[in-house]
Amino acid sequence: MEGLVARGVSKTYRGQRGTVRALDNVDMTIAKGRLFGFLGRNGAGKTTFIKISSALLMPTSGTVELFGLDVVRRAGEIREQIAIVPQEAKPFYHLTPREHVQEYLRVRGVSPEAAKNRADEVLTAMGLQAYQSMPAMILSGGLQQRTLVAMVLATEAPFLFLDEPTLGMDPFARRQVWEVIRQAARKGSTVLLTTHYLDEAEQLAEELAVIEGGHVLYQGSAEALKSKVRREVRIQFSGGFTAQELGRYGDVYPDRAGLTLLTTRNVVEELTQRALERRVPVNVGPVTLEEAFLTLVGRAIEDEDPEAAT
Amino acid sequence: MTWKSQAVAIFRICYFNGWLGLRRSPIAFIALFLTPLSFLFFLYVIAPHSVLPFGVVGGIMFSALFTGNAMMNDCAYLRLERQIQQIFITSPLRPMSWILGMALSELVFTIPGLVLFFAVLFLVVPVGILTILALVGVVLLTWLMATSLGFLLSTFFRQLREIWPIGMVVFTSLSVIPPIFYPIAEIPATFRWAAFLAPSTFASQLAVRAAGLKVPIIGSAPFLSSIAFEVIGLVVLTLAFTIASMRLARWREP
Ligand SMILES: Nc1ncnc2c1ncn2[C@@H]1O[C@H](COP(=O)(O)OP(=O)(O)OP(=O)(O)O)[C@@H](O)[C@H]1O
Ligand SMILES: [Mg+2]
Repeated sequence: MEGLVARGVSKTYRGQRGTVRALDNVDMTIAKGRLFGFLGRNGAGKTTFIKISSALLMPTSGTVELFGLDVVRRAGEIREQIAIVPQEAKPFYHLTPREHVQEYLRVRGVSPEAAKNRADEVLTAMGLQAYQSMPAMILSGGLQQRTLVAMVLATEAPFLFLDEPTLGMDPFARRQVWEVIRQAARKGSTVLLTTHYLDEAEQLAEELAVIEGGHVLYQGSAEALKSKVRREVRIQFSGGFTAQELGRYGDVYPDRAGLTLLTTRNVVEELTQRALERRVPVNVGPVTLEEAFLTLVGRAIEDEDPEAAT
Repeated sequence: MTWKSQAVAIFRICYFNGWLGLRRSPIAFIALFLTPLSFLFFLYVIAPHSVLPFGVVGGIMFSALFTGNAMMNDCAYLRLERQIQQIFITSPLRPMSWILGMALSELVFTIPGLVLFFAVLFLVVPVGILTILALVGVVLLTWLMATSLGFLLSTFFRQLREIWPIGMVVFTSLSVIPPIFYPIAEIPATFRWAAFLAPSTFASQLAVRAAGLKVPIIGSAPFLSSIAFEVIGLVVLTLAFTIASMRLARWREP
């Protein structure tokens, strides 16, 4: 059985200022137990998709099934299986991180002892033990966000929706959260995660989807995305080349030392050879997911509106 | 989740939202009983002392009715500003349990004020155990009605800014204009029926009866002056608000 199957999902928001088509015929499949990354620019439709899939928002058309249950008609059963970190939710002012985690588990039907043990584990894993008895109102923004994420990850719900869970967290905290997310996935949870930190997506996600303007542009692995956009290697040239000369091999942009070229594997030898002849130092490495993402989405924007992209 | 776990969940919400909230910011409950207490003080200063018992019962009913205002504010706040309601409703917790848990926490906030007014009632009229029980019953029914109305109203808001003026208008007109703080007998006999246009009048008349104060004839039909009319009115309103909020609640945005 699949974790999530979306078929032809569309959403049009209607308001006083006209209508917005946030999702347009989205098809997506997430295998059960997969840690799935959902990427896209601001306003691309990620939160809208998560809200529909977690029974918080009605789709305009199309269906989403979670573990084979239709999210519109079987919302009650689906709520037994899910937990969600909404984008930009905030904790209760007066409760401590421990109370948030423990009380939320109790509300979800976990026994007092199990809730306490689970809270111990999660608070430690997320670096919150030093703050566990402080009311949320005196915690910093990143610590408040960690509290919410701890609450939701502690549930180990079969399907976890995480909408920008690491927003505003420091690099140490992010890594702690990654580890807890991985652990949930290892224990069998299916995870749908959105993030604008593409290093995070690369670290965590076994599979990705990229959405732009309500359309899914890509679904597959990060590596396959790089091949798909024909940007597998980055070559940094410390001088000696012009942007024009390199432009025919791929995307060129200036960096601190000279120029960076994003291109395919097969031209590496030719170009490094030429650089050696000109006695120019080069640096060859893999393209990051962020670079592949920029290329993919950049091209989609260009197709849509050639003026805007230049 | 079983019924037992739902009951535990309701109790936990009441504990962390109501009891812990009260313990950690006591100013909130002082604010709640300060308004009815000042009304009572004015009555004491300017009105004949025979109306005073009505003022005390009025204070009790005002407190019970304002749980609705608190409910409206809290529910809209947790849904729109904190967005933490979303975390609670995307869980095995039933929507009705969330509403009940929230409503119970509002009751917790009101208990200190209620205790105060009950104490004052002892001073102004002879009250027996039956009076207390009857009044507590009326307070509980009123609380159910007011909080279900409060929740219902909270579901209409899309922004927090709209909420303060609307709360003032709705709950002040429910508790100040109808005969809550004054005897219904003050209204000319031909218009007394009109007081029942306010949903709060059923409850306040029941409370006046429960406290053993005098209730005048309401209209030509004897049913209008009967306790059955008031009980039925209160129960029907409570059910109507609850059913409407279950249907209209934004568990899922349109
Ligand atoms: N309640 C709403 N009413 C009207 N339009 C909305 C509403 N919510 C979202 N939109 C619009 O729908 C589109 C998709 O928004 P959505 O929040 O799903 O984007 P997102 O991918 O989550 O963006 P971000 O990365 O900024 O969180 C945007 O154009 C947005 O303006
Ligand atoms: Mg979003």
